[in-house]
Amino acid sequence: MEREQAGFTMRPRTQFARAAPEAKVRRRQAGTWLKQLRARAGLSQIELAQRLGLKYYTFISQVENGFGRVPTESMEAWARALGAKPSSFARQLLSYYDPELHRLLFEVKQ
Amino acid sequence: MTVIAFPGRRNSGWRPAELNEVVASVAGRLAGGDAGGWDIGVTERGDPQFYLLGPPPHHECILCISRLGSVYVLENGKGQVLFEHGSLLALADAVKRVLRNKKADIVARATLAWFVIREAFVEKVEAMLGESEELLVHLAPQLAALA
Repeated sequence: MEREQAGFTMRPRTQFARAAPEAKVRRRQAGTWLKQLRARAGLSQIELAQRLGLKYYTFISQVENGFGRVPTESMEAWARALGAKPSSFARQLLSYYDPELHRLLFEVKQ
Repeated sequence: MTVIAFPGRRNSGWRPAELNEVVASVAGRLAGGDAGGWDIGVTERGDPQFYLLGPPPHHECILCISRLGSVYVLENGKGQVLFEHGSLLALADAVKRVLRNKKADIVARATLAWFVIREAFVEKVEAMLGESEELLVHLAPQLAALA
């Protein structure tokens, strides 16, 4: 395994694995959902990056792998590029990125 | 806009030597606790990526390094390209520089916040002192008359 071959790897990797933060799990779920949307739109990561005006397609991968988030300021562009309605797209992403806020805004019954 | 895809040589993950170099460039941040860890992944095309993660509980990506063909691309967690170069050593220097700037930025923000709080506190205390002084000026003659 390349991770184990790198000299510095064990301590930070182990710490990270132990922490298993919920936020990371949710970001990964968001990434999987985005990947499905992209597949449904028939786009590759490169093609999506092209539609978003990005120089490299690597950020798409960063987000789909669950390490980054779709920035709020570009959610509308992502939604349109993926053929989704911006409001439902943002709402779905909010349920992954900030579930408590999503619950307060959309789920709390009076 | 044309997305640079670097066709040709296919990547098969990080080589141990380059991963060591990359991890060494962020080791200070990891040891200092400013970064919560790191991880690796690949793009759809198999290009390797290295993610430097922020502190807990969010562990969000603060820096991402990708190797596309023979070019290393350094991005922040919002997808902004910070550096691109074919040399691993130049990349490691850029990573250190970016992290140093980030730290300096945090220190500058903290200092600014401290001054703002201090200023607000001093203003409030001065106002309170001014009020009580005014009260004393009004009451002193009356108290003196009573005595």
